[in-house]
Amino acid sequence: MANEAEETVRKLAMHKGVVGVIIVNGEGIPIKTTLENHVSVQYAGLMSALVDKAKSVVRDLDPSNDLTFLRIRSKKSEVMVAPDKDFILIVVQNPVE
Amino acid sequence: MSSDTSSDNEDDKDTASKSRGNLAEDETLDWLKPRALLVPEDQEDVPEAELDEEIGRFLTTINPQWVADEVAYHYGQAKFVVKPKPTFGKAYPLYIYQGTAIRKDSDEAKAQIAAGYGKVGFDDAGPKRAKAKKSTTELEEEEEPEADAPPTEENKAEEDVPDEEKANEVGGEDHEATQADTAADEETEAVADEGAEEQVPEDEGGGGESQVEEVIEIKPRVKKLANQFNFCERAALTYNFPKRSVDTQTVPPPRANFGATCLQSIIFDFYQEDYARKQREKEEEKPKRLRKKTAKHVKSAQQIHDEQLAQRIREAWTILERLVNQNIFDEIAQDYRYWDDPSDEFREGMGSLLPLWKFQFEPMRSHAVCDVQWNPHYQDLFAVAYGSLDFTQQQKEGCLCLYSIKNPAFPEYSIITESPIICLDVYKETPYLICIGRYDGNVCVYNAQLTLESSYQYKSDSVRDKHSNIVWEIKWGARMIDGEASFFSISGDGRVVQWAVMPGELQATTIITLQSNVPPIPGPDGTLLTVNSCGSCICFHPEKADIFMVGTEDGMIHTCSLKYNRNYVRSVQGHHMPVYRIHYNNYNNSIYASCSGDWRVKIWEDGRDEPLFMFELGSPVGDVKWAPYSSTVFAACTADGKVYVYDLNVNKYRPICVQAVVSKKTKKLTRVDFNPRLPVIVCGDTKGTCHVVKLSPNLRVMCKPPKKAQVADQRTLQIMKLDKLLSLVRDPPFQTGVVDEKFDDD
Repeated sequence: MANEAEETVRKLAMHKGVVGVIIVNGEGIPIKTTLENHVSVQYAGLMSALVDKAKSVVRDLDPSNDLTFLRIRSKKSEVMVAPDKDFILIVVQNPVE
Repeated sequence: MSSDTSSDNEDDKDTASKSRGNLAEDETLDWLKPRALLVPEDQEDVPEAELDEEIGRFLTTINPQWVADEVAYHYGQAKFVVKPKPTFGKAYPLYIYQGTAIRKDSDEAKAQIAAGYGKVGFDDAGPKRAKAKKSTTELEEEEEPEADAPPTEENKAEEDVPDEEKANEVGGEDHEATQADTAADEETEAVADEGAEEQVPEDEGGGGESQVEEVIEIKPRVKKLANQFNFCERAALTYNFPKRSVDTQTVPPPRANFGATCLQSIIFDFYQEDYARKQREKEEEKPKRLRKKTAKHVKSAQQIHDEQLAQRIREAWTILERLVNQNIFDEIAQDYRYWDDPSDEFREGMGSLLPLWKFQFEPMRSHAVCDVQWNPHYQDLFAVAYGSLDFTQQQKEGCLCLYSIKNPAFPEYSIITESPIICLDVYKETPYLICIGRYDGNVCVYNAQLTLESSYQYKSDSVRDKHSNIVWEIKWGARMIDGEASFFSISGDGRVVQWAVMPGELQATTIITLQSNVPPIPGPDGTLLTVNSCGSCICFHPEKADIFMVGTEDGMIHTCSLKYNRNYVRSVQGHHMPVYRIHYNNYNNSIYASCSGDWRVKIWEDGRDEPLFMFELGSPVGDVKWAPYSSTVFAACTADGKVYVYDLNVNKYRPICVQAVVSKKTKKLTRVDFNPRLPVIVCGDTKGTCHVVKLSPNLRVMCKPPKKAQVADQRTLQIMKLDKLLSLVRDPPFQTGVVDEKFDDD
């Protein structure tokens, strides 16, 4: 499992335009990252909050529904978030010119 | 007169009380003074003998030390006053009872009498007891109100003794009444006094009476003394204790901040949890026999959770990878979906190929794509066999990869094998089972559902029954009679072997050994060696499961049956070079195409020795495939890197599309495959790259239903189209003309 995760992170980070990959555990602490530490911590903190909010939006509209993925497009980059109750996976990608 | 006496009495009281206070102080300080023996000057001189004389000592009740009349100087009055009697000598009080009687001749009594209280029968406890009382402070307190009483008496007489006063008021100022009262008082007092101390009152009684009488004359209203029958209530304020607040601080209980949001979804979740818990409880109420089964599950609850988590993570990663790829290859995806070459409209009967994704697996850069096949179930997935076709510099290892067009960067599944893979086939029934044929003659079955760590699921025995040459093609066959899946392989050693997938092993059966026309060669020691012809490809009849065709390296195409293991059903000299592929038409079972290293693609009909069509492509043709969507379209790829697409309905002589997919200097195209559903084809080259290209609209023209028969569906239309074409081609008995024409054109 651990090897598999390493392999997956490595593979994802090798994709074109991928700036960083962050794995955040259930408590919002980044446990694996390819970015710098403080950036990862910032991403983890902000994304956890956003994921919670987004999840509550989806769940409140229909309690049997759930949030599965989140992608945030910005001028400079795109942040893709895979939220789960036990972890959050974050991939930051710059658009391909 | 009366006022004077009363004031005198008052003064007396005051002095008495004051002196008493002083005296009490002195006495308390007595013990501090040094006991110096003071000899008065007028000390009588007593001779020594008398001093020595023994004097008997007697115990007596009389205290000799006791001074009867002691005086002290009163500064206030500037005179000596009689000191109140000190304590009773050597007598010790054992029991003190606070009586109400006072001596008649005491100052107090006089004062009382003066104030007009009782007369003769006034209660008196006797001198000693009265004195004891006086010495105590309690008495002082008791006396003070009495001392106060006389001055207030005149003013507040009525208030002080309410009960009596009422009676008195009724009586008004009647003398008789008051006298009667006083007489009654006297009598009662007298009765009370009767006993031990009768004499004392009598002694001084006369004086008292006379006084009283005087008082009576002066003061008509006689006040009665309080006793238990005649009393007044007095209220007194006790000391107001000063208030003080006492408080302590305990250790504060531990505090914690708790914050939570209550949302509809959270409430919903809790209800769900609660429901699940109730269900569980219900389960537990079941009899033990049933519960045992669940106990085993409970043990591995943690494992289940872990597995689920791992699976969720895996899925999340996959989707993230897809998202990333979507971003990277967005334009290609748009092209794939929406871009149709607009120039097709103006080029009647000509089409083009739009290159889309390129798939490469980094470790397999120097390998050739030896086989490529779309997955029959998942339209976006295709399998690639990495081997090497450069037999002088054969690679050490090969690789089996599954790619998805959703993820061009990495294969979805990849597994390195110890020998190059030459061919593969995906099982249609279970599309995750893939059989491969290898360069070393072994065949394996891989299960793509298993994790990457696990190796093949089945492998042929390397010693007993593997091929002794390269496995050139491998095909899944129909299930065997007892239900086992089986596949067939053809190899350079001239054998066609059926492999039955038994539990845990592969069981090999040689179906046929391909004989060659070459006569037996005499061996070194005189024996004759039969030379097998080398099989290079195999193809099963789409409907008749026991009919298959094999192509050989010497260009023969043999039609064989599983039922005969020695002879061919038919045999045709199809090509002059190794046959690389035989492929049946998807709509007509009697039509098949073959391609060969002799640069030619031929279209055959069963039972004919001559091909219906023959096309020369100017380079060894690696692969030919019929299109799944049309009965007359097929594609071929050549070693010079070009893909040819033919539509016999449009043009019987020329390809409707020729496009160089790879540069012919460095790369050759090896294999090509049509996607069964999407308008794309994939072709592999010798540098390990798979190219997915899109067919332009002209390459996938569908049949328009004729006006007569509206009901016909696309399939029957396609069959009709091919039949019509065939009838045109077949009609002249000699078909080579077509081929000749083709050559003439070139």
